Amino acid sequence: MNSIIYTGEHLIWGQLGNAFVFLSFAAALLASFAYFRSAQNDELENAPWKKLGRIAFSIHSLAVIGIMTTMFCMIFKHAYEYYYVWEHSSNSMPKRYTLACFWEGQEGSFLLWTFWQVLLGNILMRSAKQFEAPAMSILSLVQAFLASMLLGYYILGIRIGSNPFIMLRETPEFSGIPLFQMPNYLSKIDGRGLNPLLQNYWMTIHPPTLFLGFASTVVPFVYAIAGLWKKKYGDWQLAALPWSFFGIMILGTGILMGGAWAYESLSFGGFWAWDPVENASLIPWLTFVGAGHILIIYKARKQGILSTFLFPIITFILVLYSTFLTRSGILGNTSVHAFTDNGMKIQLLVYLIFFIVLSLVLVIVHYSNLPKSGKEEELWSREFWMFLGALVLVMSCMQIVVITSVPVSNAVFGLNQAPPVDRIGFYNRWQIPFAIIVTFLVAIGLYFKFKTTNLKDFVKQLTLPFLLSVLITTVSCIMLKLTNGFYIALLFTSWFAVTANFFYWTLAKKANLAKGGATFAHLGFGLIIMGALISTSKKQVISVNTSGKNVETLGKDISNATDILLEQGDTLRMGDYFVTYTGKHKEGHNILFSVLFLNKDSATKKYTPAFTLNPIIQLNPQMGNVAEPSTRHFFTKDIYTHIMFADLNISADGSGSEFGTPKPHTLGIGDTMFSSNSIIILKALDSHIDKIKYHLKADDIAVGAVLDIVDVNDKKYTTEPIYVISNDMIKPQDATVSELGLKFSFQKINPDTHKMDFTISESKRSNKDFIVLEAVVFPYINVLWFGCLVMVIGTILAIRQRIKKAKEAKNLPPTAQTDADKKPE
Amino acid sequence: MKKIHIIAILIIAIAFGVVMTSLSNNSTYASFNEAAAHPDKVYHVVGKLDKNKPFLYDAHLNANLFTFYLIDNKGVERKVMLQKPKPDDFEHSEQIVVIGNANGTDEFKAKDLLMKCPSKYNDGKPTENKQTGSL
Repeated sequence: MNSIIYTGEHLIWGQLGNAFVFLSFAAALLASFAYFRSAQNDELENAPWKKLGRIAFSIHSLAVIGIMTTMFCMIFKHAYEYYYVWEHSSNSMPKRYTLACFWEGQEGSFLLWTFWQVLLGNILMRSAKQFEAPAMSILSLVQAFLASMLLGYYILGIRIGSNPFIMLRETPEFSGIPLFQMPNYLSKIDGRGLNPLLQNYWMTIHPPTLFLGFASTVVPFVYAIAGLWKKKYGDWQLAALPWSFFGIMILGTGILMGGAWAYESLSFGGFWAWDPVENASLIPWLTFVGAGHILIIYKARKQGILSTFLFPIITFILVLYSTFLTRSGILGNTSVHAFTDNGMKIQLLVYLIFFIVLSLVLVIVHYSNLPKSGKEEELWSREFWMFLGALVLVMSCMQIVVITSVPVSNAVFGLNQAPPVDRIGFYNRWQIPFAIIVTFLVAIGLYFKFKTTNLKDFVKQLTLPFLLSVLITTVSCIMLKLTNGFYIALLFTSWFAVTANFFYWTLAKKANLAKGGATFAHLGFGLIIMGALISTSKKQVISVNTSGKNVETLGKDISNATDILLEQGDTLRMGDYFVTYTGKHKEGHNILFSVLFLNKDSATKKYTPAFTLNPIIQLNPQMGNVAEPSTRHFFTKDIYTHIMFADLNISADGSGSEFGTPKPHTLGIGDTMFSSNSIIILKALDSHIDKIKYHLKADDIAVGAVLDIVDVNDKKYTTEPIYVISNDMIKPQDATVSELGLKFSFQKINPDTHKMDFTISESKRSNKDFIVLEAVVFPYINVLWFGCLVMVIGTILAIRQRIKKAKEAKNLPPTAQTDADKKPE
Repeated sequence: MKKIHIIAILIIAIAFGVVMTSLSNNSTYASFNEAAAHPDKVYHVVGKLDKNKPFLYDAHLNANLFTFYLIDNKGVERKVMLQKPKPDDFEHSEQIVVIGNANGTDEFKAKDLLMKCPSKYNDGKPTENKQTGSL
């Protein structure tokens, strides 16, 4: 086999790529080691080591960019001789999805993550000053772990990493395929292609944002580790602060983009489904927000130093844990979106455990050396309530971690726990109390002053926003018919968060935009929670059966029916609209269904078209067909439609005969056959046929077959097709069960075998095409998206303000600052 | 930092409570026989589709009822009544998880269903690209 000389292959890509992969790994290790030496020997004599560290990290950076460039070229040139290219791209794929192909697979997304950390590392290298050596040593070590994920080497029979430059014909699972006997196989193949589900602009912007968010957790982490290592316990927090809020903003945006993607084009039925993969991205964000606020407390009050270490460390560890969850295949049946195991479970586990142990050891060793602040936080101080908020976030995070980790605890303890049945309801119930506390703290937080607050002023300032929120909440509860106590409480706290922060901005900050960062971020958070609460709790399924038909015959279990059958041309009432299914057409790999929404004028009884939605069924050879929703956005609500079932065999124009092709069946007495909607038993043969009734001649031979039919609803029917021999001609008399749309024909009796031949034809239901549709109204979901925007803008403003202040602080005489830092000693 | 200590203890206690209660609310994986022993409890049953038995769906009769036969991992077969439309590509499923409770001794009423298709994320081998072939 090895003697075949293949034509058309570009081996150079693989050689180049593998060289870069090795270089990136080796250079990261070298950088880590050199920076380690530099950090260990303080000051002057460390200069050569530091220089080597910088050079090595630069080489690592170039190597990572080299890997990416090589992979881009391969994908762009359709170099299907490489497995990764074959697996993720194809000739027919539009060029704009080249980026999406790049990070569709595990290897590409690891590379994306590595790339962002290279970028952040280069900024850190130039800005970390006294922390450069220890921080970069740790960061390079993280990079070495990430780079090792691409190695694809076998060490002692264990594969380390999954290499993106492996050749298609060398992939173990494809060995011995006859195709590779052909020297020119390459000219005959096409790539498998990007999963059509991911051919979506969200796939181009969501992963980079999310991974930049993940990557940014590394900076506060390495600062914290460096602070412990170099015993500069209180010196790094100020530098880590803007990094943290940058990361909080990016990761938050990435998570919400995922939510928007799920809402717009995946069939989750909402923007947040508490899927384990979604949870995995949310978990570190919660503690990251905690970390940011803990750093603010420390900056202002030099208090809670232990927490300034714990929060960034926990956040980073949770990112690693999330990575383990989503990429090791351990989630198995509990998530449809997780990667399947590609043999890296052990390696991911080592990565996770290594950094847990490293952090734990450092924290324990240095714990007793941490400067203790003698004073206790005042009850009425901003730091106290901020700290409390951070702890509530940790608790909320913990609940999500524990439940999402059910597959892990099953594996570790040999348990048999299943994920919650009503997952969304379950998580919502547990998280709403946390959300109530957090939004309440968000409302009052800024009104507290650091150190101590004049309670009189505090109450006075908050009275107006409080009363206003009570009023608005009452009005909106009546409007929305909200009755659940928890929902009402959460609606109140989120209104309170909005009004209180708005008042704070206009009064305390004199409506100065640049200084309004924190208030806007908090206000935006209040809006997000409010939008999420209203749109989920008041979501209304309008595709309930209003036609009056069928319902009685359906029998049991129709109470929870949320999907409606729409025949082409039929008009049914849905909520405030009347809805018609007008037809379908094909575009590329999508089948678009046209669902026309009509308004009915109550006076004239005339219908006027309001809008058309085009929910899609995507013909997806990789995953099976996938339904994509279609949503109409209004200012105050969204109308969301989603195809639950469609018979793709029916042509849209309704051509074809009334009955489909007869399907033959051969059975004896007591045997069973089935159609798509029922089970049919041949009960008996019946020779006493009423010949007059069937218009038969007296000398005709006629035998009936008694068929017992049970339909999907357990309803029973009996019918009797007749086998007739008239003048030596076989003239079967068919029997039709119109309710089921079935036609039975008794074709033959085989006297030797005692078996009978039948055919069943299924009616095409008066040739009408139909769909089973789910339609849902999400009220006020725009509040949520608007809140996201406000929160992001607020965070950007806050970061700008922090950087500006840090620069101003630097211009002050240096003694003033260091004195303040050292005070707790 | 006394106050903080009290709060920390309180929070640990609440967190413990949260974790324990939310775990006890969980359903468990079970076989059909175990599910039949507690018909009021909701279980996850993992199994394979019996492709020799009928699976029935008729949107005109009932858009939200799909019935099929599932063999659980212990080899026990039950008729499953899923209260949803027939999922796409159902026939190709390799493994099925039904979530619901037993309905009498020989039926299982499923509120939801998860499928694992062999094709998911990993499909097929490289084949010759036939220019003349139809789509």
